[in-house]
Order: sequence, then structure tokens, then C-alpha cells
Amino acid sequence: MITKRQLGFFVVAVSVVGILGIVSVDILGAGNWSGFGPLQRMGIGLGLGAALVGFVLIRLGDRPA
Amino acid sequence: MPITLNRALKSIATALAILTILAYVGYLVIYVSYAVDLFRWPFDYDQGEGFELYDAILFSQGEWPYRDSAAFPFYASNYPPLFHLLIVPLLPIFGPRLIAGRLLSFAATLVTSGTIAFVVRRNIAGPERDWMGAWFIPLISGLGYLASNYVYQIGPLCRMHMTLVMFETLAIAFVAEFEDPDHGTRNLILALAMLFCAGYTKQTAVFTVAAALSYVFLRDVKRALLAGTALALAAGALFWLINVGTQGEWWVNIIQANVNEFDYRQTLFLFGQWLRLHTLFVLLGAGYLVYELFWDRLSAYSLWFFFALGVGALSGKWGAGFGYFTTAVAAACLTSGLALGKLRSGDWMSKMEDWGPGFKRGSVRIFVSAIIPVLYLLQAPRMLHLPTSGPVFGPMSRILSVDDQLAYGKGENLAPTHCDSVSYHDAMGYTQLGHPLSPEDHVAGEKIMDYVRATEGPIFSEEAMFSILADKPVVTNPTQLLNLYNNGLLDTSEIIHHIDQQTFDLVIFRAQFYPPPVLEAIGQNYQPVDHVCMNGFTYHLLWPRRRLDSALLSPE
Repeated sequence: MITKRQLGFFVVAVSVVGILGIVSVDILGAGNWSGFGPLQRMGIGLGLGAALVGFVLIRLGDRPA
Repeated sequence: MPITLNRALKSIATALAILTILAYVGYLVIYVSYAVDLFRWPFDYDQGEGFELYDAILFSQGEWPYRDSAAFPFYASNYPPLFHLLIVPLLPIFGPRLIAGRLLSFAATLVTSGTIAFVVRRNIAGPERDWMGAWFIPLISGLGYLASNYVYQIGPLCRMHMTLVMFETLAIAFVAEFEDPDHGTRNLILALAMLFCAGYTKQTAVFTVAAALSYVFLRDVKRALLAGTALALAAGALFWLINVGTQGEWWVNIIQANVNEFDYRQTLFLFGQWLRLHTLFVLLGAGYLVYELFWDRLSAYSLWFFFALGVGALSGKWGAGFGYFTTAVAAACLTSGLALGKLRSGDWMSKMEDWGPGFKRGSVRIFVSAIIPVLYLLQAPRMLHLPTSGPVFGPMSRILSVDDQLAYGKGENLAPTHCDSVSYHDAMGYTQLGHPLSPEDHVAGEKIMDYVRATEGPIFSEEAMFSILADKPVVTNPTQLLNLYNNGLLDTSEIIHHIDQQTFDLVIFRAQFYPPPVLEAIGQNYQPVDHVCMNGFTYHLLWPRRRLDSALLSPE
């Protein structure tokens, strides 16, 4: 059984990897826009929101997810 | 709260519930009327219908629809086979006609609706079995699915979407009970079977697979890994076998050709539209997800609602559309029913008793019972869609003041892509589906068929039904040709050679969704002879230039 804390760690990890991936798109020179494109901004926003949810879940401890 | 006030509230709640049922049954009547109208329509209503039927015809002849599109007849399917295989047993009954697929799809929506109602009832009907929890909320949750503009429009089409949603809903209903002490393993196996069927109906099922396996993983990691491995092995083995059987054309047409251009603005627009049309269902579903995430355990239903948003996120793909939200509509209808059930049975009612002697659990419950139909009644007009002509719908549309707000517009406001208005209003605004067919449409269809029957060989038609109805081979699947061309997977030399040779006696265009070199070749070798307005669209009929030249030279 997975706990809220474990789920929270997973969500935070996925968010961080996602945000890093979105940022690295520019470093690799992919995408249609120069600089930060609208999809990247949305992705970062979603990633940050998900990370926040993850942190809250971590604080909920060992309750079953 | 005085007893008389309780009685009054009860009466109000009952009256509102009756009004709600009337509204949602009204949508059901509109849906059935539209479906029956379509069952009588022999031509393509939506452009892909005839091609899906043709896939079934090919299967019934023991042939694969996954072929090399560079060779005559330049046809390949881009969908998995299950929906088409399910049509095959109906072909001896109905013949090679669209009604076979339309009936199947329509029946699938009824099964989904019934499953939603069943699941909601199973989860919220308490031991007291009061009418609100035992049948009212389940009933409206199920009918709400059929009342959705998206489900209404796509439901009775010979398209695979609704069969996909049926398998997905059944899969989630089974997997939710995988911990049942008596039938847990059976339920898990049935869920996996339904997921397998969903995946082989349409590729987007992968999100429901993720939802179902995530649910099992949260509760039983070992069983989730076993179930996931079993599903992956079964699906992978069949995938490999089909790929071998089609000499790799399965992979090319199902996977590679489906990597299309993505427009995030279309996704945002469709998310906004989905929310605007299904506000109550979506907000309740989202609220239920948040509640379970932080205050309770995540259910299979909430996870499904969450993952279904992922399908919606893909709706910006070229060729995608609001059909990508039908899974999310089903999930929202289901979870909204569960949310309302939770609202009625929650501990918060007992806590309200502490607020004072006026707050009795029974009174609050009656008050909530009156609020729930109000919420459903507020939701009903947000999805408004109905024909604006006929003895029943004509006066009704005038009463609702929507008889002038037609899907294609009219008069000077007629959408530029259309040749005629349609007698149909939809809260979506512009939409190409949902309107009834007129007698003029049937006449126009026969006029096009006269052109088709006058030819001897194969025709080059953007819609398959003209060929199928004339017992001719189906030549080309335009959108798939375009998919392949856009991905650099199509050699157009043979098709252009055929066009240059003017092999086809007739070309029929509607949306002109062919690769640009093909359109260019047709422009050079074919000339319009007639334009027929059917179903609100202009069908362009073109003859080979040699035929027109010889007609001009002929003394006649």
C-alpha cells in the first residue's frame, strides 16, 4: 500500500524532472519559439502546482493514498 | 426546523427532482431522435464513418486494413481493429451499410450510461435506500452522460470513440472492485480484459490503462506489477503479431502516422469549452478528486477523472477534436454523482447539529436534497442542443428562443465553409455534427450517386460511402494519406501517376484533406462539373479533362 507521503515524494520528483525537462528544451534548442514559449510557461506553471500538491501530500504522512 | 417546513422542503425537493428528470429525459428523447434520423441516412455524416465501415468490410473478407498507402487503392486505416471487428457480425444482417456501426456505437453509449448509473448507485445508495441516493442521483449521472453535447453528437456515428469509452468505463468499474473479498481476482482479470479491448479500439485508452493500474498500484504494488506485466505482454504479443501479419504497415499506420502537428491553442479552447458545457459535472468531479487526494483515499474513479484530462490535453493534435473529451465526460458524470452522494452522507451534517437546536441532520438532509436537483437544473441549459424544426422541436426551440441561433448560422451570418444552414441549435456554437438531415439532403445524396453509378471504374472520393453504395472499391483514405505525407511516410508517385492518366472517371471532394501534391495533380487533370449542397457542405464533382474535351469535340 502506498502512503500519502510516498505519493507526495513521487509527485514532487515527477514535477522537478518535468520542470527541468521543460527548461532544458531551450538549452537543446528545440521548440518553435525563441526564449520561453507559451507551452513552456504552462508546463512550468503546472509543474509548480503539482510540486505544491506533492509537498502537501508529504505532510499528510502515512495515511493510505 | 418545524415539521411543516420540512414537509414543504420535501415537496419542493420532489417537484424539483421531477423537473430535473423531465429535462434530462428530454435530452434522451433528442438523442434517440437524432440517432434514428442517422440510422436512415446512407451516406457519410461525419467524414470518417465510411472508412471505419470499410475496415469492417475488409476484415469480413479476411483482409487487413493496414496497407501500403503508396500503392493502389491508396487506402489504409489509422485505427486499431476492435470496433471494426465488432461490426463484422452485423454485416450479414444490415449489409455493408453504416447502420451496423451506428447501432453498435449507439448501444455502447447506452451501456456506458447504464454503467455510470450502476456504479454511482452501488457507491452512494445507503442502507436506507432513499430515492435520492438509490435512483435519482444515479439516474441523472447516467443521463447526464447522454445529455452531453459531445456524446450526443458522436454517439450514433459509425466511429470508434464511444465503444472505447464503454470499454474504459467497464474497466474502471471492474478495477474499482479488485479488492472484493469474494470476486477480487475475477474483477481484476475482467478489468484487464476491458483495458485490452479499449486499447485495441483506440490508442488514447492508454490514459485509462494508466489510471486503472495506478489505482491497483496505490493499494497493492505486487498485484499492480503482475497485472501491468500481464497486460503489457498480451497487448504487446498481439501488436507484434499484427505487425508481422501486415509486413510492418500496422506500426506505420497506427503509430508513426499519428504523430501530428500540435496546436496548444486548440487544446486550451477545447478545455474551456468542455468546462463551459459540463460545468457542474467537472467542478464536482474535480472537487471529489481534491477531497479524496487530501482527506480520503484515492478511488479508481477519481484517478480516471484525472488521467482522462490527459486525453483532453492531446486534443490539440491535428485531426483531434472534442471527441477526445468523451472519456473525461464519462468520468466527470460518474465522479460528480459520487461527490453528491458524499455531500448527502457526510459527517458535516452531524456537526451542524452542534450549531443549535434548529439544525437537525434530517432537516439539513432534506435541504441538501432540494439543492441537488437545483444544481442539475442549472447544469441542464448549459448543454442545450436541439433541432429547431419539426412539430415538437420547432415550437420548443421558439419557446427557448434559440430557433434563430443555428449551428452554421444563416443568411448573411452563414459560416463561409457551408452552403446551407441546418435546423439545429447547440450551446457549443458552431459544430458540424448533431443536426437532423432534411429531405433535400437525401435528394442531394441521390444526385451524387447518379454521377457515381454513371462511371464504370473506381472513383476517387473523399468519402467512402459513395463507393461502397455503388459496389466499387474504396480508393484513398484522405486524412490518413495526409497524416503519412506530413510525416514523410508517403510516396505519392503512383497516386499522381494514376491522376495524370485520369484513371478515375469521377473525383468527389468535400474538405480536400489530401496531400498538396495530390490536390495539385487533380487540379491539373480534372475539372468541376457540378457542385452539390448536401448536409450543409458543398460536394465538388470533377470529371477528367479528357472526358470534357471529348464531350466538347463530339457533334452532340
